[in-house]
Amino acid sequence: MAMAYNFHIIEDCLKCAVREQRLFCNLSREALIRLQNIKATSVYPKGAMLCLEGQPPRGVFILCTGRAKLLTTSSEGKSMILRIAEPGEVLGLTAAVSGTPYEATVETLEPSQANFIAQTDFVHFLQDHPDVGLRVAKQLTHNCKCAYEEVRSLGLSSSVPEKLAKLILRWAEDPLDLPVKKQNETPLRVTLTQEEIAQFIGTSRETVSRVLAGFRKKGWVRVKGATWTILNRRALENLVTT
Amino acid sequence: MHSEAANELYDVLSPELRAELARFEQVRIVPAGTHLIACGVPPEHLVIVNAGKVEITLNCNSRHAASLGYSGAGKVFGMRALVSGELPEIDVTCMESCSITTVPRDVFLALLKNNPQVYFAVAKVLSSDLQIVDRILRGNTRRCISGPRPRPAKTV
Repeated sequence: MAMAYNFHIIEDCLKCAVREQRLFCNLSREALIRLQNIKATSVYPKGAMLCLEGQPPRGVFILCTGRAKLLTTSSEGKSMILRIAEPGEVLGLTAAVSGTPYEATVETLEPSQANFIAQTDFVHFLQDHPDVGLRVAKQLTHNCKCAYEEVRSLGLSSSVPEKLAKLILRWAEDPLDLPVKKQNETPLRVTLTQEEIAQFIGTSRETVSRVLAGFRKKGWVRVKGATWTILNRRALENLVTT
Repeated sequence: MHSEAANELYDVLSPELRAELARFEQVRIVPAGTHLIACGVPPEHLVIVNAGKVEITLNCNSRHAASLGYSGAGKVFGMRALVSGELPEIDVTCMESCSITTVPRDVFLALLKNNPQVYFAVAKVLSSDLQIVDRILRGNTRRCISGPRPRPAKTV
């Protein structure tokens, strides 16, 4: 029977066809058997909150499919996206390891599967299996690298056009793979709304809309629904480096 | 001779593992201005600060560096580069005369290989590093999204 949203649930980690491509899941057979016993699989709709900023840690979530945004909220209730988590990432790791509250709210951007592991089980899992320890270290290293990049970006980007150009160029590192594509054009799949893009770069939706309209008018990007195409990469790069 | 001071690595290790590391560690006093970790230079040691104040900076490009803040007794540096094999992205500089303990890279990596439970200590240290950056990020984020403060009401 076909599943809703064409969603394929991966129940058994040992049979997961994509685990070797994932940052965390490429574990030894022994570790995978243990993981299978301690994890609880759940499927979440778009907009589900896996954990809340400031909440005491309950455990970690391994994002199997789908993507999730990591948000922080100001005392005025405004949100900003810290980063987008991709499949294979372990979410809530810092909190679970250090026993401190979750640092960010995690909200799914699309229907997603996540495997939950309770904090105590996860700590024992980490201590008993060297490959899990290594993967956790790699994940934390990756998170640290992303955070450094974000600090650099925030520290050096002064204007919204620069921040938006930087974001588009970052997405361009993973372009859309179209069968036919024009030379010097980079197609991208952008599933974030303008509101979410605004939350990403710390501005308002109206400003994103205005700046993006400027980029389109100048012929730097083309926007057709969720497919954006970079038409003048050099212009975007110049905006970032100036 | 080894440091008895509490630090984020030793606090999580068993007494046996601490004793094993203690055979190889070296305690030194270094003057202000010493780079404990230099951006782009692979560290030869794990560095534990026993006393004194250090500044952590992140190089943004050839002209700009962002201060990630100050740290001191109990903080461990060089873990990320040692474990991942990547080059450090930060500079750690002594702001005053500091007492430090160093553990040679090879000794630590051998300990890690033979005692997988040490990975929990590694994860704790890396999490603490991440929390330092996250605090900066959160501070910047708050400034970005808070908007201008409301003007105070006029008093008569």
